[in-house]
Amino acid sequence: MNPDPSWTDFIDAPTRALLASRKIAPFAGRRLAVVAVDLYDLVYDGGPKPVAELIESHPASCGEYAWRALPPTIELFACARTNGVPVIHVTYDTRLETDAQTVHPTNRKKRQPDLALYRIKEELTPLPGELVIYKKRASAFFGTPLMAFLNELRIDALIVVGESTSGCVRSSVVEAWSYGYPVAVVAQCVFDRCELIQQASLFDLHLKYAEVMDLPAACGHLQGATESRRGL
Amino acid sequence: MRDFEDYCWRELITDEVRYIYSPYVRDRSVGTCPALLVIHPALPVDGTWRAAAQHLVETARARAVPVVHSLPPGATPWPSLAAREAEAVSPRPVDSAFFSSDLERVLTRLDVQSLVLCGAPTSAAVRASAVEGKSFGYRVAIAEETVGDLTSMLHQLALFDIAHKYGDVMSLDELLGQPTFSAPPPR
Repeated sequence: MNPDPSWTDFIDAPTRALLASRKIAPFAGRRLAVVAVDLYDLVYDGGPKPVAELIESHPASCGEYAWRALPPTIELFACARTNGVPVIHVTYDTRLETDAQTVHPTNRKKRQPDLALYRIKEELTPLPGELVIYKKRASAFFGTPLMAFLNELRIDALIVVGESTSGCVRSSVVEAWSYGYPVAVVAQCVFDRCELIQQASLFDLHLKYAEVMDLPAACGHLQGATESRRGL
Repeated sequence: MRDFEDYCWRELITDEVRYIYSPYVRDRSVGTCPALLVIHPALPVDGTWRAAAQHLVETARARAVPVVHSLPPGATPWPSLAAREAEAVSPRPVDSAFFSSDLERVLTRLDVQSLVLCGAPTSAAVRASAVEGKSFGYRVAIAEETVGDLTSMLHQLALFDIAHKYGDVMSLDELLGQPTFSAPPPR
């Protein structure tokens, strides 16, 4: 665990005191997978600017927070690939005919962004052979074959990155925990639209469902997974 | 109805956060053909939410709105919120009332088209159920007084997220005043 958690400035003392009763086991697994949630162009749109400056022109962008998380996420992907850990990419299924047009992943006001912006960001683009999940709802599991992929790959623990921390990342983590997986969330590789909600989400996920860790700790787990995979 | 942001989280958010979340501001309502889903906590969660939830449950019964109970393993419902004999009880193994439960089957057979949630904890079972209820295509409404958590900050932050992304958060009076919070006319 992070020795000086970034949520301290945002979460009050009575709420932080609940960590004393936290029941999540330390993250461990022999066959890990990285699940990268919704890292598509739309959330980087408008460039690394404060989100408030982008609301009018790019209302779905996470601006500076998205761009800040990009280098560590590139590093995490490289570390996973070097160590033979699968990277599973998750993005929105843009096919209009696969859902009622009245239903949306969240209650954001109806607007139709350019569907081409749901392409996974170039620096994070799936390599040939890597799995891509196309989803219609918040969780990467809801209505998708992700569970089948994890079973077929014999995955036993998940490292989750992406956005938004309070939305699709959180619901994917909760569902992974519900399915029984140990889950790690890499603090530098998840992001949201404002710092309060980012830190509140990290705290609550760490309290209830996952282990929030920093990038070096996550890379340590990825390296540790290499040896146990060698015998498979 | 009060301003969209004028609920329990108002003191936590700055004007900048309000502005960043302005694309989520919208009209709120209880959907048609609702069920009231009582989300019983696994461990006791004290607070005024119980009395408010009891009032909501009793009003639902009086208006012939179906009441469905989601019960975690080993939990004993708070007596004033316990199921009446004819009410469906759906056991759930984890936080979301939908996950690995028969809830979706129960709701389909009751011909339910939207949900009103009450119970605890706001940031765990209620929130997970709101997210999954929305994912299943139900309109979700919550009266802020009828859900509770271990700390007020967890409650406030969870309702902030639910209100913006997944469900229609309002006061108990506002919810009870919704004409749709009633049984549909007989077909």
